[in-house]
Parts: sequence; C-alpha cells; structure tokens
Amino acid sequence: MSGTTRTRPGPADPAEAKRCASWIVAVAATQDREAFAQLFAHFAPRVKAYMFRFGGNSENAEELAQEAMMQVWRKAHLFDPQKAAASTWIFTIARNLRIDRFRQRKHIEVDDSDPTLIIDDSPLADEIVDRDEHAVLVKSAMEELPADQKVVVELSFFEDLSHSEIAEQLDIPLGTVKSRLRLALTKLRGGLEGVS
Amino acid sequence: MNIKHHPTDQTLMDYASGKMSQAMELLVATHMTLCPKCREKVAEFEALGGAALETANVMSMDAHALDHVMAMIERETANENVVFREMPSTRRVAVGESITGSAIPSVPRPLANLLPDNVLSLEDIPWKSLAPGVKHYQLKSIESKGTVRLMKIAPGVSIPDHGHHGHEMTLLLKGSYIDEIGRFRAGDVADLGNDVDHQPIADTAEECICLIATDAPMKFNRLLPKLLQPFIGI
Repeated sequence: MSGTTRTRPGPADPAEAKRCASWIVAVAATQDREAFAQLFAHFAPRVKAYMFRFGGNSENAEELAQEAMMQVWRKAHLFDPQKAAASTWIFTIARNLRIDRFRQRKHIEVDDSDPTLIIDDSPLADEIVDRDEHAVLVKSAMEELPADQKVVVELSFFEDLSHSEIAEQLDIPLGTVKSRLRLALTKLRGGLEGVS
Repeated sequence: MNIKHHPTDQTLMDYASGKMSQAMELLVATHMTLCPKCREKVAEFEALGGAALETANVMSMDAHALDHVMAMIERETANENVVFREMPSTRRVAVGESITGSAIPSVPRPLANLLPDNVLSLEDIPWKSLAPGVKHYQLKSIESKGTVRLMKIAPGVSIPDHGHHGHEMTLLLKGSYIDEIGRFRAGDVADLGNDVDHQPIADTAEECICLIATDAPMKFNRLLPKLLQPFIGI
C-alpha cells in the first residue's frame, strides 16, 4: 500500500544532515550498498510524494522515485558536499527528472565547466559555507513560518502552479499570494543571515 | 563584471523550483553563468526545495522497491564494467581576463547550446532584419510556451514601445540601453512584470545585443509593429 503518511522527521541537526551527505560520498567512493539502502529509506518516500503531487498517480510516482534513486547511485560521484546538502542535491535530481518526464525536456542549467563562467573572486566568496548546517537552518526557518506563508512556499515547490493558480486553489487574491511569498522569502533570508 | 540589475528573487525561486517556461530558464541560466551572486541565491532556493522535501509528507514505497532498484543497478554495472567517473571541474577564469570591453567574450553555454553549431560568437548569428536598425534571431527547439529571441539594435535606435501580456525578461549581452527604468549593460537583466510599458533605446555608439524571453507574445503599442506581428512571428 502506498498512501500518504504524516511527516517523518527529517534531519533535525547538522549531524544528521552530514550523515546523509556521507552516505552519498560512500556510494561514490566504494559503491556502498548499505549506505545506498539508508539513502533510499530516507529519500525515496519523499521523492515519491513529490512526484505524486505532479503526476497524480501512485504507480507513476513509484516508478519516478525509483528512477530518481537510480540517478542518485549513478551521479553520486558528482555530489560535492561543499556545494550542496544531500537534501538539496536530491531535490535537484527529482526536479530535473520531473521536468524531463512531464515536460519532455531538460532543465536548462549553468555548466560548471563553461569557459565563460564568471567566478566571484571577492574574499568573502572563499568563505566556506557549511551546507549541512545551512540546510538545517533553512528547514527550521521554514518550519517557523506562519502557516499561511508556509503553504504558499510549499505549493511553489511542490506543484506546477503559477501564482494565479495558487491563488485560485487557496481562494485568495493573487496579490495576497505574492505578498505572502515575499514575506516568507524575507523571513527565510533574515533567519539565515542572522546566523551566518 | 559589474552587474547592477538582477532577476527578482521571485524569478530565481521559480527557476529553482522548476516551474518556468524553457525560454525564461534559458535566460536565467545564461545570466547565472555571468553572475556568481544569482548562482548563490539559486543554491539557497534549491536548499529551500530540499527543506520542503524534508518537511512535506512522505509516501511509502512498494515493498520490493529497493531490491528492484538494486537489481537494475546490478544489470547496469555488469553492462558497463568500467564505472565512468569524473570529478566536477570548475575552470577558474579571473573576472578581468574573461571580459573585454563591454561585451560577453563568447556565448555562455546555456545559450550556445541552442544556437547553430557554426555560431561561435554573437557576430556569427544569422540575423534577420526586423525594422530599420533592428535585427533579430528566433531561437529554435524551445517549448511552445513562451518565446525567446536575440535582438541586435543599432546605436540610437529604439525597440518599438511595447507592453507585456505576461512576464518579460531582457538580458544584455553587448552594448547598453536605457529605458524608463535605468541603464543596462552587458550581464544586466531587466525583469519586468505584465504592467510595465517600456521603450528601450541603444544609447551608446556601440550596437546593442540582447536576449529577450517572454511567457507570452509581446504586444507592441504602435500601429505598424502591431500589424507586422502576425507576419514576423513576434
């Protein structure tokens, strides 16, 4: 049976987020199956729920979640813990797979080996951000958002809805969607800057 | 590169959540190639996507899902023998050496990927004349929602006064222009909503080349361009 169940807690502290990252690193380094099983247990049900909200059919969602996890195995050597937390990286894999399957095209991205890529050479840019700590901060900042703002952020990431469609679904004016989103982003950004 | 005008946070979030038209994505990814600040912001929005993934509901997988995936991986590895492995490489280009004058030296890859193979620089683009002093090039293989084109505007010439049905973004690749909002140089993005009417003018001795992406066809306010619209496919 594959019904929707209530939120399972995600990583509550950087140590847990780091464990997720270390599993991906282990898969890349030694094709560690045990580490992959852990990743699978944590992320596959989340990716399935993500796909379900776009596809509306649990068979489809199951297949896409499996496909996404295959990509996690295949692309593990491209994971760079200094550039992204595990949850961030797996989110981008799920997002790109969704666009590939539902819209039959590739998500257009920056190519890190592009010779025209401009690198920030200011001293601040070299400061290493701990991506796992950052991911945990983002998550708790998001959990602390007022419910009406949180739902707008969630719908932005979890459904292929424009702002006016979100307005329709929540039965609120378009301007309200925009202002809630703006407030949420200001709050999220403020929360992050306060700490780093 | 001294970029002053960026896409809005909302636009960068739509890029990160993957809900833009391909036309808009192309423009944002081209700008991001030139703008480390916006790359970092998008990384933050992707972290927000990761947080949404962590906090949202879960759906249990089929009982044998992991075995199934492992079996597929086995088959794949057996076929490959050698695991392809490449570390992500970033070629560092110092800001000073990559930018000469006011133009992007060569075409950033997200855009280059959609140009014909023989186009190596902005000069090689097979421009089509649109109006005196205005040339354009419509990009191919972009999904039908939205439009994206390159425009080349002679010094002192203005793009016909137009408003927007939907979201329009302009990325300057060469030269500069000025409009009601301000002055835009190579790398800058004008990120306009649907209620803005503007009339950009190429304002230096140099021609101006820009990438324009819309979510809906542009609407021109003057009679002549409006009549031309159905014929030239704007």
